[in-house]
Amino acid sequence: MSAVWTASRAAVKRRRLQTFVIGLVVLCSTTTVLLALALLSAASGPFDKAYAEQRGAHTVATFDTTKVSQEQLARTARQPGVETAAGPFGQTVVDIPKDWLWMAGGTLTVVGRADPAGPVDRIELLEGHWATAPGEIVVNWSAQGSPGTALLGTKLETSGGTTLTVVGFATSMSKSASAWVTPEQMAALHPSSAQMLYRFTDSSTEDRLSASLARATTGLPKESLTGAQTYLTLKQAFSALADSYLPFMTLFGILGLLVSTLIVGNVVSGAVVSGYRHIGVLKALGFTPSQVVAVYLTMLSVPAVVGCVLGTLAGNALARPILKVAFTGIDVGRASVGNISPWLSVVCLVGMPALVLLAALVPALRAHRLPAARAISAGGAPRAGRGLRVQRMLGATRLPRPVSLGLGQPFARPGRTLLTMAAIVLGVTTVTLSTGLTSTMVAYGNVGREDGGARIHVTTGGSGNDRTPSRLSDLQIEKRLRSLPGAEGVRARALSQVNMAGQTQPVFADFYRGDDSLYDHTIVKGRAPSAAGEIVAGPAFLTQRGLKLGDRVTLELNGRKITATVVGRLIEGDARALEATWRTLARLAPDAHATEYTVRLAPGADARAHAEAVAALDPGLHASVMDSGNAGTATVVTFSTVFTVLLTLVASLGVFNTVLLNIRERRRDLGMLKSIGMTPRQVVVMTVTSVAGLGAVGGLLGIPLGIVAHRLVVDNVGVVDFPASMKDVWHAPQLAAMLMAGVAIAVLGALVPARSAARMTIASVLHTE
Amino acid sequence: MTTDHNSARHVVVRLDGVHKEYGDAKALDGLSLEITAGDAVAVMGPSGCGKSTLLNMVAGLDRPTSGTVEVHGHDLGKLNETGLALFRRRNVGMIFQFFNLIDDLPVLDNVALAAQLTGTPARQARRRALELLDELGVAERRNNYPATLSGGERQRVAVARALMNRPALLLADEPTGALDSRSGEQVMDLLIDLNQIGQTLLIVTHDPQLATRCASRLIEVADGRVARESTLEATA
Ligand SMILES: Nc1ncnc2c1ncn2[C@@H]1O[C@H](COP(=O)(O)OP(=O)(O)O)[C@@H](O)[C@H]1O
Ligand SMILES: [Mg+2]
Repeated sequence: MSAVWTASRAAVKRRRLQTFVIGLVVLCSTTTVLLALALLSAASGPFDKAYAEQRGAHTVATFDTTKVSQEQLARTARQPGVETAAGPFGQTVVDIPKDWLWMAGGTLTVVGRADPAGPVDRIELLEGHWATAPGEIVVNWSAQGSPGTALLGTKLETSGGTTLTVVGFATSMSKSASAWVTPEQMAALHPSSAQMLYRFTDSSTEDRLSASLARATTGLPKESLTGAQTYLTLKQAFSALADSYLPFMTLFGILGLLVSTLIVGNVVSGAVVSGYRHIGVLKALGFTPSQVVAVYLTMLSVPAVVGCVLGTLAGNALARPILKVAFTGIDVGRASVGNISPWLSVVCLVGMPALVLLAALVPALRAHRLPAARAISAGGAPRAGRGLRVQRMLGATRLPRPVSLGLGQPFARPGRTLLTMAAIVLGVTTVTLSTGLTSTMVAYGNVGREDGGARIHVTTGGSGNDRTPSRLSDLQIEKRLRSLPGAEGVRARALSQVNMAGQTQPVFADFYRGDDSLYDHTIVKGRAPSAAGEIVAGPAFLTQRGLKLGDRVTLELNGRKITATVVGRLIEGDARALEATWRTLARLAPDAHATEYTVRLAPGADARAHAEAVAALDPGLHASVMDSGNAGTATVVTFSTVFTVLLTLVASLGVFNTVLLNIRERRRDLGMLKSIGMTPRQVVVMTVTSVAGLGAVGGLLGIPLGIVAHRLVVDNVGVVDFPASMKDVWHAPQLAAMLMAGVAIAVLGALVPARSAARMTIASVLHTE
Repeated sequence: MTTDHNSARHVVVRLDGVHKEYGDAKALDGLSLEITAGDAVAVMGPSGCGKSTLLNMVAGLDRPTSGTVEVHGHDLGKLNETGLALFRRRNVGMIFQFFNLIDDLPVLDNVALAAQLTGTPARQARRRALELLDELGVAERRNNYPATLSGGERQRVAVARALMNRPALLLADEPTGALDSRSGEQVMDLLIDLNQIGQTLLIVTHDPQLATRCASRLIEVADGRVARESTLEATA
């Protein structure tokens, strides 16, 4: 074994540059792979992790207590298939007045629970304390952050005459209730239903969940189960936005994995192939075939292990900030993003060296069988085939000879050429895809800003502890805002939860009044809502409910109903939100008023000054300049940039390595060419041309692939329905630039070795080989 | 061929006090030498005495540590890499022990290459290459690849390539060293013929027979200097 070690050490020393390149390629590839894996797991993981931590309920079931007894319900917890269960908890619905806390009115589902902890659905207390005495109520806060302590002590009169005081705010990931009271208080409210919280052993799909629930509730009186909500709906809503970016994140992840694997394979196998002569010498010295393989694997394992360890460290260091930036704006609730599982590092640390060894093993085993004499002469062995015919044809063209010589070189080593080309193709695909996505996302982020004017967001009543009420009425505010100099349009907004017939969950409805110029840019199909009963919504809302333009739905708020027609499709929107005009709201809640206003400024107007002017109108008004960024844009642009940089780097290194190997193998030819008068410039031209051709072909293949990938991605972002104008981001000059990107990747990788080849002293090379 | 032997015989190569060191090792140690047009000079000496280094200096493939190298009026020390390349193109042709043909190119293209580098169109370069191959008796091998040729044939192709740009000086480093004696003799005859029509030759060899048959002057090198110089009777 020591002979193997000596030979490996000598080989590493003699090929410092090559060893360095292999190490660097493995490093960059490992970083890319780790990022890609972190990305894939972050995009799908956060909900499940947080949900498991909170022991969230797989199914929240509601029972009619007039049909089923407490004991019967308690027994369902011991049925097969039930992992754990909590309950039964009494449950009732309490009416709330308009504008109670931050709610627009409606009802509150209240559950009687002695303890926020428990085997299922751990409730996290955000402010105050848990309800322990009669008359105390804890309200669910589902948004991010905390509502603060200012609202503690708010009272609620029930229709039965009970006074409840808010003593705490809490959050339940299972969304099992809107508020909680003690079991005793619940009994006093005379509930007619009860809640059971289940965790099932099999919770993978909606079907399994309903089967599990059916099994648990067998034997209960008919129709005693009045409702069931599975966590899958929550999960979907929770990660809707994250999921919608998954197609493109997945694509980047896959591209990263592919390019990295290809380049590592190319670099490593190239190292072994270029060492065939060396292998012959080792064999002549008396190394057994297995020892030869061992020498090569040892030689490669040094840069592989070092590169992999450093790459894993770099990946871990990079992934956290990158994921943080990328996920800003994607609501992941209380789940943490950016925690990279140590398993990913393990996968990289084991997988990358394994990949290197595998890539080395194939050619090394070929060398294993190669007779020593053949191996020794491998460099100068006669070659024949298609490559030679191509060289001939090129020699007869009018191209300068260094150029035609360079163009012919790739045909001498078709295998290596193909791998290099694949790397360039994927590199160009990535660049094309990412520039396309960036264009699309920037266009999308600019929706509503086409006129160039800034927008001021005005809210009434402030936020947090500062809740100075506005002295002005809704209409007065609108009028004042409109009359401020620089204001081109004012749009008032009221948000309400309304019930939609046939839907268990309420939907969010935005009602607008005034300036509706935004719809000129955000309606991708149909038209803007105008009359009472006309609604528009984003693609996710419509698709999830199977709605299309012209379909009718019934909306209900505080007992008033209206039949509404879908008249338009918005470019994007929450899966639970729809939009309508004030006329619709007037029918549902005649005395509702707006809580937010958007002021559209004339182009060039000073937004900050305007915001201050708005605040000066009334201390109850809070104005802020709407930031121009868009969360989705940040996500896409971040990942596009990171992966473009990484993959371009890795692809360039692959080209660099290919050129390096070619030069090493062609030292003798280069020496001869110089001896007959090839100038250093001609050497550079020849060497660069040898890969620029690959780059051009790579560009020609990579660009269409990138365009297709871009189309696939933008068509599959569920929450956004990009109009054709945002999808058609390709123009001739841009495509030409992309093609140049392919050539640039190749030239960049080739330039350094080409110049060193031009400077190479050749006097000795010509004799020794 | 290019040298006009009616004009006054001028100095083609002048080396003056040339030193070449590779680290601590002295390859050339103050070597001086003059070669006039039409000369056929053989350089002999033990292995490692600096013969190849001398040839590389003359070809502009390597630079002396000190001393001057002047070839055909060019002071090689004053030329940069590109200048040296252009100098080689027009002034010297080289032949090597191991031929140094490009395996990927057929014989004809290997020869044509030398002219194509200077911008000669492919068609014209191939025509001249074919003429040369014909003169050297390997025209029928023009479409073969080097690997399928015998050593002697390969060396004749190499000679053809060296002559493509009508060099003032033909340099040969052990041109018969890798050949069997019969092929070696053929190559020798070829060199003699070239010298007969005025081609200046500088041949490195350690084959005394080659030296005596081809050369008009014999220079013996030892330890990086000229140890002995003698004029030979041409025996052609
Ligand atoms: N590129 C080089 N690097 C280091 N030493 C060299 C190099 N070329 C030649 N030498 C040394 O210079 C001396 C002369 O070499 P060379 O001119 O090749 O001898 P020869 O007369 O056999 O052709 C030898 O000792 C050789 O080892
Ligand atoms: Mg020598």
